[in-house]
Amino acid sequence: MFDAIVIGSGMSGGIAAKELCERGLKTLVIERGRKLEHGASYTDWMQPWDLPNNGMVPEETLDKDYMVQRLNYNMNTATQQYWVKDSENPYTTPEDKPFVWLRGYHLGGRSIMWGRQSYRLSDIDFEANAKDGHGVDWPIRYADIAPWYSHVEKFIGVAGDRDGLPQLPDGEYLPAFALNDGELMFKAAVEKNFPGRKVISGRTANLSKAAPQQEELGRNTCQNRSFCDRGCSYGAYHSSLSSSLPAAERTGNLTIVTDAIVDSIVYDPKTGRATGVRVIDAHSKAGATYEAKVIFSCASSIGTTQILLNSTSEAFPSGLANRSDMVGRNLIDHLFGLGVFGMMPNAPDTYYHGRRPTGLYIPRFRNVTEPADFLRGYGYQGAALRLGARSLQQGGGGLGAEMKVRNRKLGPWIIQVGGFGEMLPNPNNRVTLDRTKTDGWGIPVVHIDCAHGENERKMAKQIIKDGEAMIKAAGGMVMGAIPDPLPPGQGIHEMGTARMGKDPKTSVLNKYNQAHDVPNLFITDGAAMASSGCQNPSLTYMALSARAAHHATEFLKTGQL
Amino acid sequence: MHSTFDLHRRTFLNRALVLLGTPVATGFSFEALAKAVAAPTRYLSPGLFALLESVSDTVVPQTDTAGALAANVPKTVDALIQNWASSSRRYELTQALVKIDRKSQEQYSRSFTSLSADERLKLLVELDKAAHMPAPIPPGGRKPTITEPAKYADPGFAKLKELILQSYYLSEPGLTQELTYEHAPGEWKPSIPVTPQTRPTGGTLF
Repeated sequence: MFDAIVIGSGMSGGIAAKELCERGLKTLVIERGRKLEHGASYTDWMQPWDLPNNGMVPEETLDKDYMVQRLNYNMNTATQQYWVKDSENPYTTPEDKPFVWLRGYHLGGRSIMWGRQSYRLSDIDFEANAKDGHGVDWPIRYADIAPWYSHVEKFIGVAGDRDGLPQLPDGEYLPAFALNDGELMFKAAVEKNFPGRKVISGRTANLSKAAPQQEELGRNTCQNRSFCDRGCSYGAYHSSLSSSLPAAERTGNLTIVTDAIVDSIVYDPKTGRATGVRVIDAHSKAGATYEAKVIFSCASSIGTTQILLNSTSEAFPSGLANRSDMVGRNLIDHLFGLGVFGMMPNAPDTYYHGRRPTGLYIPRFRNVTEPADFLRGYGYQGAALRLGARSLQQGGGGLGAEMKVRNRKLGPWIIQVGGFGEMLPNPNNRVTLDRTKTDGWGIPVVHIDCAHGENERKMAKQIIKDGEAMIKAAGGMVMGAIPDPLPPGQGIHEMGTARMGKDPKTSVLNKYNQAHDVPNLFITDGAAMASSGCQNPSLTYMALSARAAHHATEFLKTGQL
Repeated sequence: MHSTFDLHRRTFLNRALVLLGTPVATGFSFEALAKAVAAPTRYLSPGLFALLESVSDTVVPQTDTAGALAANVPKTVDALIQNWASSSRRYELTQALVKIDRKSQEQYSRSFTSLSADERLKLLVELDKAAHMPAPIPPGGRKPTITEPAKYADPGFAKLKELILQSYYLSEPGLTQELTYEHAPGEWKPSIPVTPQTRPTGGTLF
């Protein structure tokens, strides 16, 4: 019998485990994937000339095993080990509604491959549902979570500037990665021509300068290699392997089991509590049950949904903690993959040194300082860079000695800005179980039915218009735009399927991420999100995880669980 | 057979050697292992491989820096054809080589490998230009867009050339002599002056 079980070892599971262990709870982390070792399992040592197949995953392997994961922006032979084989991990969607579910099953989960952009939500986000009536009102406001954002930022290390923007509250930052000269020119033009818009350094969970609390865990300052998605032997970005699990481990309170796939959560109708977690061994397929006083589900939004819906009993015939019928509904991802790029002939003829792990960020301005014909808003991530040899080689770039000489020259400055837009909560965007199909472990596969709506389509148009206008304002020539967002899921920000709310009839979790229907069950992954904002969400998952761990421990101490 | 596993093993062997500094006596023959992975079976027939060497050497010749041959590009491309390419891609790439030789026979009545360096360059420049023209849109086909650009008139040639360039500019000579590359740059410097010696940084996505 453990004090706590944490299902999942990724972004939120790692922090939940750390916080529970540090509060003295004997904690079991259950990970469905294989064990990875910090450092030893990584591929960041590979020189470009070491990459198998020049980094390209064999075409027939992609066709056979990675039909979905191949759509991911960083699938290559150095990162292939971190993405699931779709052939072994099926799910279904309606034919005309693709949903791209990108996942990694291993210790550390997607905290190994995450994009590291770390932004706080603001009260504009926490109040959005109440104001426009989409979704249910968040049961918390910024003031409730602000100290927990600080707590997490100080631990994980976030590089950024304090920019003083109400829609993007400042946090506890390490020095920012400065903008390059192309970006500074763009910033000056945008801020002059569009009052209210700001171009800032992307806030990222990379140690621009490791602080003592990070060095204690063996983490080091970022070397500007940009191999983050291979795993970083320097521990220079926050992941469960480099940071949260080692912190949990040093308390002596942590136990980890890997290769243990959670089938369901066990519920005791007599006590009205969850008593444990049923798992299936990934290899032997033997079953086992682990028991604990408190259970945290941090299996990712869709993973948690699958577990809850598969945890049926007389008391919960439609899935555990699902009396509201909201488990699986309101699936959200960010509008992603659309943007504009252009050339900047007026930018200064300078260069930069190093491959910094972030770029520029343009915080939301629509429905903040400028009106819109849609609800909510979007931010942009982007960068200015000097086009290099790789791009110059594309197409009919010539050949022979003359081509070599040309490729030695620095290319022009180009700028690209890509929109990240807020999707409205919509109960019809839904994850259910397909009871007619089971996976290799006998668990019903999920069916994901999710599509962008009218608001998202209007927003996509404005993302392109605004992007083009900003590049032009900087004297840039727009070279192209990608006007249509990628299918949902591809932003890898899925969330919302067990939302927080004030009313047990319309939400799954209360203001402590505690299930309304099952008091000792806490859900702190993306599923908890009542709305998404347009900011990258991992920092919020971590802050909610730490906050929930604090309250769960208090409730346990006072006998409320 | 030269499998993907061999490529992986080679990189792991390299890594092991780097970590150890010098080979340690461990009861197995490091040398034999190194020899085994350094001399993999080729996919292309000797004739086609010689043609690939000749084409690679023309696309990236030796100048004041290493060319494709010194950077082992033909071996890398051969391994890509064997380990990366799908069966249809493999056919497309080998046909691209065959077509180059056919063109040489048409124009010079000799094989490509027996042409002078100037003749080879002239022939490949022509093929390169023609290959990279947009392919005609088939009746009822969609207009090209930025997300679905026009196909090249000769996608096989275009891909073959792309793989040659990619293999060169990811090779150690390509990255350290022709471009610049540091595995761990250390500091981020957001602005440095451009001098006549400045070379683009390689090994990046763009």
